[in-house]
Amino acid sequence: MEEILRFTDVGYIYHTKRGETVAIKGLSFSVEKGEFVAIIGPSGCGKTTLLSLAAGLLAPSEGEVTRSGRCGYMLQKDELFPWRTIEKNILLPLEIKGKLQQEQKEHACSLAEKYGLSDYLQSYPSELSGGMRQRAALIRTLAADPDVLLLDEPFSALDYQTRLNVTKDVAHIIRSEQKTALLITHDISEAISLADRVLVLSSRPARVTHAHSLQFEEPDPLKRREKGEFSEWFELLWRELNG
Amino acid sequence: MKHKRYEISYSEEHLRFLKKRRLHVGVVWSLRVGILLLLIGFWELSTAVGWADAFLVSSPSRIVKTIAGLYQDGTLFYHIGTTLWETAAGFAISVVLGYGIALLLWWSETVRSVLEPYIVVLNALPKIALGPLIIIWFGTGSKAILFMTVIVGLIVAIMHMLTAFVSTDKNKLLLLRSMGANKWQILSKLVVPSSLASFISMLKVNVGMAWIGSIMGEYIVSRAGLGYLIVYGGQVFKLDLLMAATVILCFFAALMYFLVAMLEKLLVKNTEN
Ligand SMILES: Nc1ncnc2c1ncn2[C@@H]1O[C@H](COP(=O)(O)OP(=O)(O)OP(=O)(O)O)[C@@H](O)[C@H]1O
Ligand SMILES: [Mg+2]
Repeated sequence: MEEILRFTDVGYIYHTKRGETVAIKGLSFSVEKGEFVAIIGPSGCGKTTLLSLAAGLLAPSEGEVTRSGRCGYMLQKDELFPWRTIEKNILLPLEIKGKLQQEQKEHACSLAEKYGLSDYLQSYPSELSGGMRQRAALIRTLAADPDVLLLDEPFSALDYQTRLNVTKDVAHIIRSEQKTALLITHDISEAISLADRVLVLSSRPARVTHAHSLQFEEPDPLKRREKGEFSEWFELLWRELNG
Repeated sequence: MKHKRYEISYSEEHLRFLKKRRLHVGVVWSLRVGILLLLIGFWELSTAVGWADAFLVSSPSRIVKTIAGLYQDGTLFYHIGTTLWETAAGFAISVVLGYGIALLLWWSETVRSVLEPYIVVLNALPKIALGPLIIIWFGTGSKAILFMTVIVGLIVAIMHMLTAFVSTDKNKLLLLRSMGANKWQILSKLVVPSSLASFISMLKVNVGMAWIGSIMGEYIVSRAGLGYLIVYGGQVFKLDLLMAATVILCFFAALMYFLVAMLEKLLVKNTEN
């Protein structure tokens, strides 16, 4: 298996006027091509920092982060630009890369079409529902054809009903595009319903305390929730997270 | 935007609502005009029957006559033109320059922290204190007034825009950086468009500032313009002239504000926010 992302003994310290915060220390893990990895951890433990390191937005204070290929970032809120149409939003990463060629553009638009956004391409984000907006945000992330998706609690701003649907949606899209994904969440059931592998982080400074491969045959997150293993995993992870 | 044009057939309730709204707007406008007419009428009446001394408070008819007089001796448009030009040019220069400087300050945090105390002091300084200095440097012509207008508006424009630029959404910045955007792209794709609303409110504030600057400038140095007419009218006790100039000033100040409001409509049209 090809390795896309590797953290080796990574540490990260925030420096401010008031002092320093050790956000991450001795963190090691790797993500392989095609995997869906979820990372759960208590709030404030350094999850967002971890993703920034993975995306190369921060340089580690110690240790090493290796990454092969490009990252696509998706945040808690959709962060669509309100002054751009959905189409223009989706094409943003291509614009930034300066390669808004016809071929790329068509790829992005075909993604939008495939995943039910074609009616909304000329609409502004304010005209879409929360779930639709998050879907548009995902298509935007996919438009640049990233090798690994970094998802920072992308569903936590949605209400429960929408959240289940969008989760299912996103899982479906990511799996059918055969993307590698690293999902950060503090929702245990979300992690179990989506991931192939779950890593549990300690409280700050974050390091990996447990790692599990979930052997679900079922890719659909809603159906996973009905399986017997689901609650077993839930109890185990809950104990590890709070233990 | 996708305009979905339905064959519109509203409910009874909505029609009643629309009717009520129209009525409300009508009432507001008639009251507005009514108050104005009432004031003018009362003013005219009280000077006509001698409740108030027209020499001290002037009167609407005398104002109209004065304006007509200015028009006849050909100086009306000269004075209006002078002030308008100073105000508009000062406004444009302070807005453009202020925007540019704010961008520069946004770009470099070091420059920003170095210059911060200077900006604070310049902002606190009452610009009229610079009057004598400006006369010495720029003489008593339009140049001095233009300079006054620019400095009155400039600092306000800088502070207004800088605040908007540095408060650009952190998450959107993060997102752009994760896409590999350089600073120019961050500027053009995010910082400038997301500060559009602030830009417009800055324009509105600066229209006012430009009038303050130009009229203040004319009080201090000028030989022409509406501010000059006001000062001159006061000095020689020609209240009619003073009032006439003030009325004209009101009109043009409102007009300029209205133009900015039109610009706002134009700019905001395509950005459902
Ligand atoms: N820019 C910063 N400067 C200083 N300290 C920071 C900065 N960003 C984060 N921290 C600190 O680092 C620690 C980890 O932050 P991080 O945002 O990575 O946690 P998190 O797990 O994502 O939190 P949450 O669950 O709230 O999303 C926190 O204690 C936070 O206060
Ligand atoms: Mg976080």
